Amino acid sequence: MSRNNSSDLAKEEQRLAYKLLIPAFLILIIIAIYPLGQVFYSSFTDREFASSKETSFIGLQNYDKLLSLTIKKLPAEIDEETGQKIINPDTGKVEYENPIRVLPRKPYLYRPLQEFNLFGNRYVIGSADTDFIKSLYNTLVFTIVSVLLETILGLGIALVVNSEFKGRGMMRAVMLVPWAVITVVSARMWEWMFEPSRIGLFNMLFEKIGLTEGNTAFLSMSEYQLPSLIAVDVWKTTPFMALLILAGLQLIPNELYEAAEVDGANKVKQFFNITLPLLKPSLAVALIFRTLDALRVFDVFQVMLAQKRYSMASYNYFQLISGRNMGMASAIGVIIFILIFVFALLYIKVLGVETE
Amino acid sequence: MNKFRENPVQRTLFYIILSIIIVYLLFPFYWAVNSSLKSESQLSMTPATFIPKDPATNNVSIYWKNYKGVFANGSFVRGLFNSLIVATSTTVLALTAGSFAAFALGKLRFKGKKPSLYIILAMTMFPQVTVLSGLYAIINLLNLGALFSMILTYMLFTLPFTTWVLTSFFRELPIEIMQSAQVDGATPFQTFRMILLPLTAPALVTTGLLSFIAAWNEYLFALTFTSIDPSARTVPVAIQYFSGEFARQEPFGEIMAAAVVVTIPIVILVLIFQKRIVAGLTAGAVKG
Repeated sequence: MSRNNSSDLAKEEQRLAYKLLIPAFLILIIIAIYPLGQVFYSSFTDREFASSKETSFIGLQNYDKLLSLTIKKLPAEIDEETGQKIINPDTGKVEYENPIRVLPRKPYLYRPLQEFNLFGNRYVIGSADTDFIKSLYNTLVFTIVSVLLETILGLGIALVVNSEFKGRGMMRAVMLVPWAVITVVSARMWEWMFEPSRIGLFNMLFEKIGLTEGNTAFLSMSEYQLPSLIAVDVWKTTPFMALLILAGLQLIPNELYEAAEVDGANKVKQFFNITLPLLKPSLAVALIFRTLDALRVFDVFQVMLAQKRYSMASYNYFQLISGRNMGMASAIGVIIFILIFVFALLYIKVLGVETE
Repeated sequence: MNKFRENPVQRTLFYIILSIIIVYLLFPFYWAVNSSLKSESQLSMTPATFIPKDPATNNVSIYWKNYKGVFANGSFVRGLFNSLIVATSTTVLALTAGSFAAFALGKLRFKGKKPSLYIILAMTMFPQVTVLSGLYAIINLLNLGALFSMILTYMLFTLPFTTWVLTSFFRELPIEIMQSAQVDGATPFQTFRMILLPLTAPALVTTGLLSFIAAWNEYLFALTFTSIDPSARTVPVAIQYFSGEFARQEPFGEIMAAAVVVTIPIVILVLIFQKRIVAGLTAGAVKG
């Protein structure tokens, strides 16, 4: 817009801007205000889902229960006769008290989450809701690893597809195939490939190349669960990243590359000095939406792991449907919301997206 | 755009990388196609085969009944039709409202820009499960049909997305384009419609395709809002209801066949629009 100082023009511009925002805000007000308000409100109550029980306001209790952590020192077990520490004869290590006995029972029953050694003492971290804390950990690991891989792969694919070669029109369609497969079905498809016998693709392949016996239970053994799910998500959503990055690449004027070519800058230099900096705004927006989706991940966890291992959103679902704890579920929703907000702000600040 | 590689070594390397990418992207889908062409007994063969084979003779034997089953299923075919309506309307609505908002947010000066951007983004930050019961109450209150309910509620995840992506694209467009249009006597809205919008075609097509597929794939809202009106079920819901309708066992082959059938319209759609993804946004547009 021209730097016209006349305040009339500026006012007109402002009025136009508000008019243009009306449709979007109208739609969002209709569909979002009430559900979001309800989530916030319910998170402070003990409301039950699909029940006639009276709801009462309980303040921050849901949050307190979800997030309460405590660390306690574990005393060594003492032999009553000798007064000595009991040493396990098999391992030669000191036996410690059962964590359940040490952890507080009020106001909530704390369960052991993790034990660790520090300065020769043994400690236990207790949580009032270990499933939630674990789901938080699962979700964060899942998000960070999968978004990172998707960004790198997406960038690579976008750069390749952006080159000139025969059949790149077809390639752009091929690129989107994983994203186009219905999510619920894609999870089933991968579940099938992960079958714990040689019916499944991976066990068949791994056995063929002599890597395993061909009976790895990818989805039951805890060390393979997250890597398997990350593999599914990376395959499924790399196209999302690739396409958004590809569109961002279109905004970079060819003249810049031509000028760099004249200056003798090689391709690697061009990538770091031209492509990457100019791609930052598109990359930031793609990252925000990708991270947002990853933090809310539900389908893959629900279909492939169900109650074996939770993401925050699948734990939320479990609390709501099986536990009928609508208040608790809402509080989980708000925590996810806050987490997403933090990530979004981080991207906006670090990648320098202008919002003004 | 990279120049085509002159050096044969580079060119070979390039095609090797390209092939790896293609295999990575397509192989799991190929596996679904492969599974969809197997009968129940072929599916439970160990080890699994790369092409459908007869368990007894080990000859190639393709089983078409899964596809016949899928197309004979009235609710699946209707589901395709419903999905098409819902995804198309969602995309058109999200792109229209989103590009209006994005023009204001990306190119116009006004008070409250930053809060507007954050509010729009915040709308999409809750997990879908959490907002479901609230949305259901609204849908009941408005008493819209199931199809329209889906279109409207899908705005919750498509509209913030289109708005944000398009805003970042409008912002990148050189301000000179607007200035020269204004000198020529165009109103800001004319500039938007006739000059900026065509220039952002790659972004419009990209966000459009991504929103279309997101709406096409959505499951949880669709399941909830079609619970009272099964005739409005979209494809993902229809596929889930396969279970139990036919065999005693879960008809895995049919589910895979349905997955393949449902993916094809999207591939065609992308083929139609793909040229636009890299359409001509040139810096030269400012010249002259």
